[in-house]
Amino acid sequence: MTDIPGLPSRRSFLKASAAGMALSGLALPAAAQTKPAPVSLDDYSPEYLTADEWAFVMAATARLIPSEGDGPGALEARVPVFIDLQLAGDYGTADDWYMEGPHDANAEPARGWQTPLNPAQVYRQGIPAFNAWCEETYQAEFAALEPAQQDEALTALQKGEVGLPAEVRDFFTILLANTKEGYFADPQYGGNFEMQSWVYIGFPGARAAFREWPTRHNVKYPLGPVSISGERA
Amino acid sequence: MKTFLRIIAGLAVLGVVALLAFIFVPVQRSAPATDLAADWQPEPGQGEYVMHASDCVACHTADGGENMAGGRAIASPMGTIWSTNITPDKDTGIGNWSYADFRGAMVDGVTPNGTHLYPAMPYENYRLMSEEDLRALYDYIMTEVPAVSNKVEETKLSFPFNLRFGIRAWNWLALTHEPGFTPTSSTEAETRGQYLVEGPGHCAACHSPRTAFMSQDGITASDENFLTGGVIDGWNAPALRGADSAPQQWSTEELALYLATGRNAHSAANGEMGLVVEHSLQHLTDEDNIAMAAFLKGIDGADVDLPDTIAAADHRSMAPAPADAAGEATAKMLTEASPDISLGARLYLDNCSACHFVTGKGAPEIFPELAHNALVTGSETKPLVSIILNGAEVPGTAKRPMTLRMQGYANRLSDDEVAELASFLRSAWGNDASAVTAADVAAVRAAGASH
Repeated sequence: MTDIPGLPSRRSFLKASAAGMALSGLALPAAAQTKPAPVSLDDYSPEYLTADEWAFVMAATARLIPSEGDGPGALEARVPVFIDLQLAGDYGTADDWYMEGPHDANAEPARGWQTPLNPAQVYRQGIPAFNAWCEETYQAEFAALEPAQQDEALTALQKGEVGLPAEVRDFFTILLANTKEGYFADPQYGGNFEMQSWVYIGFPGARAAFREWPTRHNVKYPLGPVSISGERA
Repeated sequence: MKTFLRIIAGLAVLGVVALLAFIFVPVQRSAPATDLAADWQPEPGQGEYVMHASDCVACHTADGGENMAGGRAIASPMGTIWSTNITPDKDTGIGNWSYADFRGAMVDGVTPNGTHLYPAMPYENYRLMSEEDLRALYDYIMTEVPAVSNKVEETKLSFPFNLRFGIRAWNWLALTHEPGFTPTSSTEAETRGQYLVEGPGHCAACHSPRTAFMSQDGITASDENFLTGGVIDGWNAPALRGADSAPQQWSTEELALYLATGRNAHSAANGEMGLVVEHSLQHLTDEDNIAMAAFLKGIDGADVDLPDTIAAADHRSMAPAPADAAGEATAKMLTEASPDISLGARLYLDNCSACHFVTGKGAPEIFPELAHNALVTGSETKPLVSIILNGAEVPGTAKRPMTLRMQGYANRLSDDEVAELASFLRSAWGNDASAVTAADVAAVRAAGASH
């Protein structure tokens, strides 16, 4: 009991009037969602990365998941934005990680994080070290190289042939992992723009409701994905 | 001409005298329906039980306030009514009230100084309570409720509702029924249920419609419109009679379980009904909740099968119900999950179907049915829209301690999307209710989570 019932309210009158005007029969198409287009990658102002670092991340992710061929590339999925935002946030600062050491650069990879640097610092120190190697090898920094040279340079980086300082030993591993994360993570983190990677691999996203489907063998699930914030594709 | 003026003057004087009499002549209290001996004593616990059955706490305890010390704001179209302190405190409560004073408030809506209570106090219904229960309740409040000194804010309604003598006229229209309970049910259980529903439970205060004068249109089972549904603050209190009503659609046991725990195989108690379960019904015996369910089931002549107990504590697997005939087409459409489905259906799959399922049947005692749910299809769309935007919570009870909580979707869905989704729900699985507009949603969103 929190009211005296019965009086027609002003709202119900307004509602009745509004109902009279409603175009109730016209259902919107299911995928219709109008969102302003985000700023282009060229005009993007990074939260963490410097201009040189941004140019490197753009160039490197574009080779790790290239735009040519099937499906969207890292740039279409706005992976560099994801990486910039992550490095600016508590991933970049290793906010809730145990960072006291000891750190042993020669430890097995399974032993976990073996550098006193946080991820943001690894990018900050790793990029110029790798660019210096590129200058030495190709007489140009990574972003200015031809795609074939970039692939070569990244392969060398991956194989540990670049001679990075021990503290940034895992730079390539982190860069590759962050690129995949930016490609496949929920769009709310800045990457996976318009859920392009989910559409590409047929992942239906954050719907969490497929009770009828485990028993429907050899039937393709037809509905496009939904993001955590409710975007549809 | 002179004669004419004299007549006019005479009528005017008469009118003034009548008005003064109307305002100042003391109000008569109704005589008790039964005379109890002066030394009559209630059974131990009887008064507290009557207090639970009458749900005094719901209005007379403020959020976070002392028990029954008043101060709860009760919104009304005329302004805020502040509930009073009914603890036995002599200065700020009712500690100085005699039993006759207490009875006058419960039965006639009049305080000891002759002031009329606003009918937010359901004395229209308490009027039907037995003399024994009234005495037991008085005894309980005076001897067992701790006195709390709490001066509550005075209710100040706008003109003309601030003129309390006007309620005297209102009472002539509203209190046409004699005090005391007149059973019309055939079995003992249904008679007990009828008493609880009509009297202390004051179900008609919400579930009966209101007359043009805002009095309850249907106070006892013999009234045609009794419990045929009402509207409170934009929420439907659904009809408890008629072929489509829950008591006719559910078994007596399911209905009793809903009363005792706020949940059953079909539904969950939201809004005001959730509070009624929390503060009142969960404290009643199984026998009484079954009795009320039986009365509601049989009110229009349906056969009543009485369960022995409700809400057994055993571990049971309760499989969700398959779609019924009316819901099959919608269930099939949602199962196929075609990209061409309407936006409303798509939003249901994206946001709702994980819990309420493509069948719209939900899961027993956890996720309410949306098919044929009075809250979904009600004339008022505010409750449905509010729950989509702000979520809902069904409090845990002694028999079902788990709190049921649904999150809100205000951040995930735009007004247009909520309108599409709500319109879909109101037309899916055989539901047949009007569409909801984005303007409806915007109004509920603007009102915020408190409504």
